[in-house]
Amino acid sequence: MRKVLAIVRRELIAYFSSPLAYIVLTAFLLMQGYIFYIIVSFLNNPMTQATTPLRLFFGGTVFFWLFMLFVVPVITMRLVAEERRSGTIEVLLTSPVSEAQVIAGKFLAALFFYIVLWLPTVIYVVILARNSKIDLLPVAAGYLGVLLIGFLFLGVGTFTSTLTDNQLVAAILAFAAMILLFSIGLVEQLLISSSALRDALGYMNLWTHMDDYAKGIVDTRHVVYELSVGLLFLFLASKSLEVKKWR
Amino acid sequence: MIEVEGLTKVYVDLPVVDDLNFFIPEGQVVGFLGPNGAGKTTAMRMITAFLPPTAGRIVVAGVDLDHDPVGLRRNVGYLPENVPLYPEMRVEEYLRFRAAVEEIPRVDVRARMDDVMDRCMIGDVRRQVIGTLSKGYRQRVGLAGALIHQPQVLILDEPTVGLDPNQIIKVRELIAELGADHTVILSTHILPEVEQVCERVFIIDHGRIVADGTPEALRTRMVGNPVIQIELRGANGDAHDALIPLPGVTDVRDQGDGRFRVEHTADSDPREAVFRLAVDRGWILTTLATEKATLEAVFVRLTTREDPAAEPVTEPAAPVEEEV
Repeated sequence: MRKVLAIVRRELIAYFSSPLAYIVLTAFLLMQGYIFYIIVSFLNNPMTQATTPLRLFFGGTVFFWLFMLFVVPVITMRLVAEERRSGTIEVLLTSPVSEAQVIAGKFLAALFFYIVLWLPTVIYVVILARNSKIDLLPVAAGYLGVLLIGFLFLGVGTFTSTLTDNQLVAAILAFAAMILLFSIGLVEQLLISSSALRDALGYMNLWTHMDDYAKGIVDTRHVVYELSVGLLFLFLASKSLEVKKWR
Repeated sequence: MIEVEGLTKVYVDLPVVDDLNFFIPEGQVVGFLGPNGAGKTTAMRMITAFLPPTAGRIVVAGVDLDHDPVGLRRNVGYLPENVPLYPEMRVEEYLRFRAAVEEIPRVDVRARMDDVMDRCMIGDVRRQVIGTLSKGYRQRVGLAGALIHQPQVLILDEPTVGLDPNQIIKVRELIAELGADHTVILSTHILPEVEQVCERVFIIDHGRIVADGTPEALRTRMVGNPVIQIELRGANGDAHDALIPLPGVTDVRDQGDGRFRVEHTADSDPREAVFRLAVDRGWILTTLATEKATLEAVFVRLTTREDPAAEPVTEPAAPVEEEV
């Protein structure tokens, strides 16, 4: 455990000593703030259907997914690819650490950074709570959803980062894999005939998962899906690190 | 301390390391000498449990790679080629990270850090970001990281590449010092380095050990008869014939301009006879020197196939430093 924590600490030093972290943080907050503004003004229009702003904020718009698909690869691309490029992986893996510990440490650091990214959005909740009555439980469920979807996507990104020594390639692979995972659920609506397949794909529809979380519905099937797929990719990452001791 | 049997690594039908067998006792400093691509780095990566071997057995400090790879790593300190470090970390942060990863008990971390920083002379940059350090400092930071867990075996892949001459001297001194209480394997293609630092040399070529011995033993075994260089002024064509019958002389080669290369048996020294001959004949002897064949000659002879009878190189050999 201490070794995993040491790796987490090292990754965090790496994150916060690079300008990339601050650029991502700033851009993320600017965009989230802008969208929050749009959502609130949209809802101020009396013609629109009644819903809560935070429900739209959490996955209710396409913007949410755009962020996830762009920001997560940027967070994870460096993790293993950079160690591979610089050769530090050789030092790391000739210390008494296992591949699983390396992956765990790196993934947890990415997850921590992801949480830091979302943390300032709590301000929106505070602003809304001061100006109107809001139900906090769906909000908590929304954040849980953000965390779980993040868990899944960061797992995917960690895996693709083990595949190459080029950060950009790692990011593009992560992006492609995440698009695939995301759209696999969306095609459900195109299939009307085969009901078994439809149900299976529907189970994987991340958009409805997130929508449910934002409504305050924490469906254990969704939770299990996100955690298990995330863990599957982390397992693959660890195996890929074992196998790809290149050259 | 280090036992290697039948170690082989094959990449797609191409053996990079081909049936290595050796035993290195405790406290020995061994040099892996070989041209680029000879398989030195691959062999080291297998001994450090980074690369799995295709075949063969490795035992380091009593731990068998097959049984306990993580345990084997505990006994080994490894500094790969080009010294990979995390440029964004400070020296102390890096060493603390290494200490945690190497399972050093928390209470000992401070003392271990101070010890290695002291040994590697990096105390003055402890707060500095690694990316801003000079190559020489980085090399020593890497070495400090490899030493932090007091490994019994130290494996250094080309530890002096890319350093300036002063830094090279410092790093070599450090390695020699470490050799006193560690078993060290270092790889290099710099010949004087091996002669200075190592007690034993493996010359590796095409994944095989083609020679194994002390630098001196290799030199005498491989180079053959000792040679003296003579330069005479005033000698006519008869010098060659006059030198041949001298006691112990086995061969004389006329190199023109009055220079001769005289080969003699190892137990004789014809220098005195050469001097008397010159005096008798009224020649002026301007050079009379023993030629010490260097390891470089051995190396060239063993690793080039085209011309095994290449002329031995005279001392001092042009140092084959750097190929950055």
